[in-house]
Amino acid sequence: MTETAQQETVEEIDLTAANQVIDKYIDMHGSLMPVLQGIQEEYGYIPEETVHLTAERLNVYASQIYGVLTFYAQFHLEPRGKYIVRVCMGTACHVKGAGRIAETLKERLGIVHAETTEDLKFTAEYVACIGACGMAPVIMVNEGTYGSLTVQKMDDVIKKYQAMD
Amino acid sequence: MVNLTIDGKEVTVSKTATIYEAAKEAGVHIPVLCYAKKLLPYGACRVCLVEVEQMKGRLIPSCTTPATEGMVVTTMSDEIRKVRKTVLEFLLVNHVVDCPVCDKGGECDLQDLSYDYEVVTNRFQGEKFDLPKDEVNPLIERNMNRCVLCGKCVRVCDEVVGYGSYSFINRGFETKIATAFDRGLNCEFCGQCVSMCPVGAILPRPFKFKARPWQLKEVNSVCGYCGNGCTVTLGTKDNEVQTIRFNDETGVNDGNLCIRGRFGASYVNSDQRLTSPLIRKDGELVEASWEEALEKVTEGLRSAGSDTGIITGARLTNEELFMLKNLAKAVGTGNLDHSGGESYKGVTEGLQETLGLQASTATFPQVENANAILAIRTDFYETHPVFGMVVNQAVKRNGAQLTVIGDKQGKLTRMPHARTLQHKPGLEVNILNAMCRFLLDEGLAKTEGLQGVEELKTALAAYSVDAVAAATGVDAAAIQKTATELATVENAAILLAYGLPYTAHSRELGLAAANLALLTGIAGRSGSGLYLCGEKSNSQGAIDLQILPAAGALGVTGMLKSAGEGKLKALYVTGEDMLVSYPDKGLIEKAIDKTPFVVVQDLFLSETASKADVVLPAASFAEKAGTFTNAERRIQRLNPGITSPGQAKTDFAIFQDLLTALGATASTSEAAAFAELAAVTPGYEMVSLDMVGDQGYVWGGETLAPEVRNLVTVEGGKALDSKFQLVVGSALYHSGTTSLHAKGPMSVVSEPYIEFGREDAAELKVLDGELVKLKAAGGEISAKAKVDRRLPKGVLFAPYHFGSLNLNRIYSGQAAIAVEVSK
Repeated sequence: MTETAQQETVEEIDLTAANQVIDKYIDMHGSLMPVLQGIQEEYGYIPEETVHLTAERLNVYASQIYGVLTFYAQFHLEPRGKYIVRVCMGTACHVKGAGRIAETLKERLGIVHAETTEDLKFTAEYVACIGACGMAPVIMVNEGTYGSLTVQKMDDVIKKYQAMD
Repeated sequence: MVNLTIDGKEVTVSKTATIYEAAKEAGVHIPVLCYAKKLLPYGACRVCLVEVEQMKGRLIPSCTTPATEGMVVTTMSDEIRKVRKTVLEFLLVNHVVDCPVCDKGGECDLQDLSYDYEVVTNRFQGEKFDLPKDEVNPLIERNMNRCVLCGKCVRVCDEVVGYGSYSFINRGFETKIATAFDRGLNCEFCGQCVSMCPVGAILPRPFKFKARPWQLKEVNSVCGYCGNGCTVTLGTKDNEVQTIRFNDETGVNDGNLCIRGRFGASYVNSDQRLTSPLIRKDGELVEASWEEALEKVTEGLRSAGSDTGIITGARLTNEELFMLKNLAKAVGTGNLDHSGGESYKGVTEGLQETLGLQASTATFPQVENANAILAIRTDFYETHPVFGMVVNQAVKRNGAQLTVIGDKQGKLTRMPHARTLQHKPGLEVNILNAMCRFLLDEGLAKTEGLQGVEELKTALAAYSVDAVAAATGVDAAAIQKTATELATVENAAILLAYGLPYTAHSRELGLAAANLALLTGIAGRSGSGLYLCGEKSNSQGAIDLQILPAAGALGVTGMLKSAGEGKLKALYVTGEDMLVSYPDKGLIEKAIDKTPFVVVQDLFLSETASKADVVLPAASFAEKAGTFTNAERRIQRLNPGITSPGQAKTDFAIFQDLLTALGATASTSEAAAFAELAAVTPGYEMVSLDMVGDQGYVWGGETLAPEVRNLVTVEGGKALDSKFQLVVGSALYHSGTTSLHAKGPMSVVSEPYIEFGREDAAELKVLDGELVKLKAAGGEISAKAKVDRRLPKGVLFAPYHFGSLNLNRIYSGQAAIAVEVSK
């Protein structure tokens, strides 16, 4: 529209899955949240092009969608790792050395909170409490839980996932 | 109505009023930051807190609380003062407080309130943001470090404009206003957000560091661009229009403006303005005195007499057009006309034959309460954006069902629940005919008192909904549904704009739209209306004053043809760059070439002016008094804010001089001319200038009843059999050719383009910004491609404003042009 405005740099992605998600909810009142959650489920994050698609198909402003996406911590606008490593930073874990666990993750994979490894394999997330204080210090990798960690055990967990696809 | 007491004053207000509005009514001032008259109540800023006796124990936000019977309100107390001051302290925690260099200084609500409440120190400390300014676009500067999160920009862009640029992003302390993906602004640049911002967070960039508000002189006038007739309040200093000030008290537009109105007035200050008459000597245009120029023009016109052709633009005032008509009489010619391709025929012939009128039947505000709206062509928003904002409010706030008959998508088609009858180019009339036939067949038509019902029924035999649906590519059920709605809802509106790029089928469209307006009962019913809206600021005035060929004389097309055959001895062109804006450039070139004496009166040395024998420098809207009549028949006053550059004169003064030189009598002033024209113009007879107040004066009343009710048979169009078809039209950012001299619109759209839909672009491997060529019967044009989502397969679009595109080499008034695309 304007020459001076920044050009949108939109990566080419396959929108089939996003369209299917929208098809599923389009007639529902208040469809935006389930659509965005569905898209994140499919792509692992919310690619920009899917925001524009959603805006067009649901007749919602892209700016509004962006407002929703930045309001809720559950949405991610950048690609995320295959394995999400949630390091618990709750009181019990903190006391029992969660800092060392996070440190280990940083040393081995080079990522801190909200960062993703370049190979898109791991994303680190520091979380407040995952409700498993008896196992402190504890982490979750996707759905798997690993408790009573030491630096050595943490190393093993990382190695285990590194060996996987 | 409810009665309540505010600070001891008793006040009676409507039951929809809030406490704030009631207080305003009672003359009691309550401070606000997030409230705006035209936006829905929001309650974000909390500075309007008041005490209500019936709601003790807490303070009540006056801007969101409805006034109720018997309420006793106190708007100021020690407690209120303390709380408001605290609110201000909170707002100032992360505010940059850079008032000395902020353009808002002197009219900043936060600055004024901090001063009023003596917020000298702040008990709270917090982080200041250092957010980057949005300086990417040339018109609107956003500095979020000054933002108070009142959300007015977000709301106006949604509720009024319907564009939705902004949203609140992030959460808590980090919350800020941003666009999608927090990028630079890339929008319509109407600047509504600028006008709403209570602080210096959103500012008009062209006005930065130009003047403090108290240094400006404010003059209310009428925008010189389109037929919407918005009030523009000129902020002038040093004999220049520095900026357009916000004004929601005067006129038709509630303070709303489009990019042209808000940022497009700068052409009046352009250094390209003509400042002296020019006369062609030895093939060159050279500066001359007014005496010499006027003598030459007088002599030329006098000797040409009845072989003179007079063509004017529709941006002259009523008074000037009246004088021009007298000038034609004095010269002895009936060859007088005002718009290329006679695009106004929808009104002058279409509505005249069917309704006996030559104007819209209702006023703009009535559309806000319409239940169903039919817009013919989505470009209605492009030509009349501020009326488009009224449509948006009807749809968004009041749930009106909008239907668009369009050959492409556009702003209107994206409005909530808008139904688009997307058809092959040139077939609008066919769809209107199908709606008429459907209403007649189904017995939904209101045929009582209508002439020609049976004839129309017979004539519409070929326009069954199914046949038209098949021919146009529109869904049959959608045609039926739209027709049914229009005929059965309480209030309905039909909108059609006309103008230079929309000359095809203009008479037919007027007829078909009027037939539908009659059959649905819209024409003449209060609350409903048929709107035929002229492209230029005084298009309606030109029709009211009958700036049209006299009986047996030549209209624009006739004049140009005749001139091309060497039959006219003089052409006098005022306020129009025909070579750029009229259809069929070849015809105009020939006309100018073959006419021995050509006079052009304009603001700039336009392409047409550069071919003239005499060029007379005229004045812009900002330099003149007089009246315009807008597309809803509202007569409004212009007031001069500045004087003309150099020796330029108003068209009025020039006509005065010429009339006197020709030995005719000239009106002595604009006011005198108005009285004289009112006496002889139907609808204006009872209007005197002092009736034209802040809201103008609508001649004929809010609803104009048809004089006759004749249904007239009208033939539909035929689709072109061509793989690629070019449709021409208006771009939102421009209006006619004048805006090409305005920095604002030019900074956004500076050059012509050819728009492609994504599908075609992909098929043709055309990239955005790439140079493309279009070959058509009349020649070849070339411009950068613009790839967008608006166009269906096979349809291309080009705006008509740019002379460099030479669009009128291939556009001669067709609904669509068969083209071949190459790179």
